[in-house]
Amino acid sequence: MAEVTPVLVPTAPSGQKSEQPKRTLDTLQGRVVGFIDNAKPNFDYLVDDLAELLVTEYGVSKVIKRRKRAASIPAPEAMIEELAQSCDLVITGSGD
Amino acid sequence: MALGRAQASALGYSSLPIAVVPHPFGSVDRNAVRAMAEQCVKQIAALACATPGVTTEQMSGASASGTTGARAALLEIAHEPDLVTAFNRVCRERRWSDGLPVVAPTRERVEQMFSGTRRTPQETVAKLAPAFGAATVEGIAINAVLAGCDSAYLPVLIAAVEAVAAPQFNLQSIQSTTNPAAVWIIVNGPIARRLGINGQCNCLGEGAWANATIGRALRLILRNIGGALPGDMDRATQGQPGKYTFCCAENEEENPWEALHVERGYSRERSTVTVVGAEGTMNMCTLARKADDLIRVIAGTMRHPPSNEYVHGSEPWIVLAPEHAEILHAAGLTKAEVKRRLWEESKMRAGVMAAEDLGRTQASRTDELGTIRPDTLLTISKRADDIGIIVAGGKGTHSVYIPCFGNTRSATREVVCDQQ
Repeated sequence: MAEVTPVLVPTAPSGQKSEQPKRTLDTLQGRVVGFIDNAKPNFDYLVDDLAELLVTEYGVSKVIKRRKRAASIPAPEAMIEELAQSCDLVITGSGD
Repeated sequence: MALGRAQASALGYSSLPIAVVPHPFGSVDRNAVRAMAEQCVKQIAALACATPGVTTEQMSGASASGTTGARAALLEIAHEPDLVTAFNRVCRERRWSDGLPVVAPTRERVEQMFSGTRRTPQETVAKLAPAFGAATVEGIAINAVLAGCDSAYLPVLIAAVEAVAAPQFNLQSIQSTTNPAAVWIIVNGPIARRLGINGQCNCLGEGAWANATIGRALRLILRNIGGALPGDMDRATQGQPGKYTFCCAENEEENPWEALHVERGYSRERSTVTVVGAEGTMNMCTLARKADDLIRVIAGTMRHPPSNEYVHGSEPWIVLAPEHAEILHAAGLTKAEVKRRLWEESKMRAGVMAAEDLGRTQASRTDELGTIRPDTLLTISKRADDIGIIVAGGKGTHSVYIPCFGNTRSATREVVCDQQ
């Protein structure tokens, strides 16, 4: 039987807080939808198109659009707080 | 999807609804974006109103900096055919290595590593983005063993981990960007000489054990604890060799001005680590003997159109060869004056940028600079003092320009150990 040596695992568990429960809407009709534009190329156009489609085809009542100053910085806390208070659903993007 | 899921899980939202837009996205025309939007909105509608799932998954190891983290798990490695071969096979399978062979972190080796610090093994030094894994002293020590570090290097690594976790460094972005940014470690003070951290000939190359293994260990920490694995949350388009290791000392003996850590408020007798989000290195080979010429050619090197520095006004770095530093010093220039001259002479007309990059610049810097037009002269950094300068290297008329990620600022932390 081969000799066995225990080694210490070099990784660490991921995550910084307990898992958050998933929340969903019963309908998009009459809802307020927010966007955080991640400032990546073309994302502003995607936001414009999604906003239009959500209003015209899914009955969303209002859209709030906000844009980060640059892709490589976090959205300002005030922006996040504003959208959290005002919106039923917030959409943003990650990656290119 | 994999990137989004990994990011969401790291933030405690593993069930976050994610709609996927096909790649490439940023380079397609307007009509293609519209077509993608028409598909994407269906995903959004379905995800937003999907039946909620219940999850009870709790993330372990979630503790704030300065608190106690979880003990490292043990993995038994059968010597098939031997420990070195078997462990490295495991590392390849589990992606624990940077692609090069590593040293097995046995209990004995990790215990020996603790002799370099008085901090307790379970103390959490920092949470490291993008996975926000807790970097305990033990976890740092394990990865230091992997990299081949001496135990005396551990305090330097602990300081480096503290530094990369500083908010101004923006580790989240540096770890997950398409940019090739690597973490460059600059060591100052007596510990550099004591540990043999090279700041002279070939200091950014290979050969010095401390340079090689300290930089390597930090990268392994950022992978294994921070969670930035290439192709997963690390999206670097090409990356760069500095992501294997990028560590040097400042050549304080041949620096005619104050050392970097003194410039930053530490006494000369203290030792520090400074971390920089570096895009890469560009050699500046110049036989210029006059200070004005030297500054002009360095500024000309800094000035280039596809530069995050100009887009955001950030923190470019210069590694001055001792010979070049002496030319500037002999002309009566202080380090601050060199920075000011470089800042003035590296101004770049915005119109040389691609239109899309000019758009990014306008979005990023209009608050700072006002209206930005093609004829606007952009500064490379917001202030002259934001240009970083160290003196390092051996003999030769080569200095190095090190541009940086853009939205990052270097961070300096003191190295705390029994000896100074």
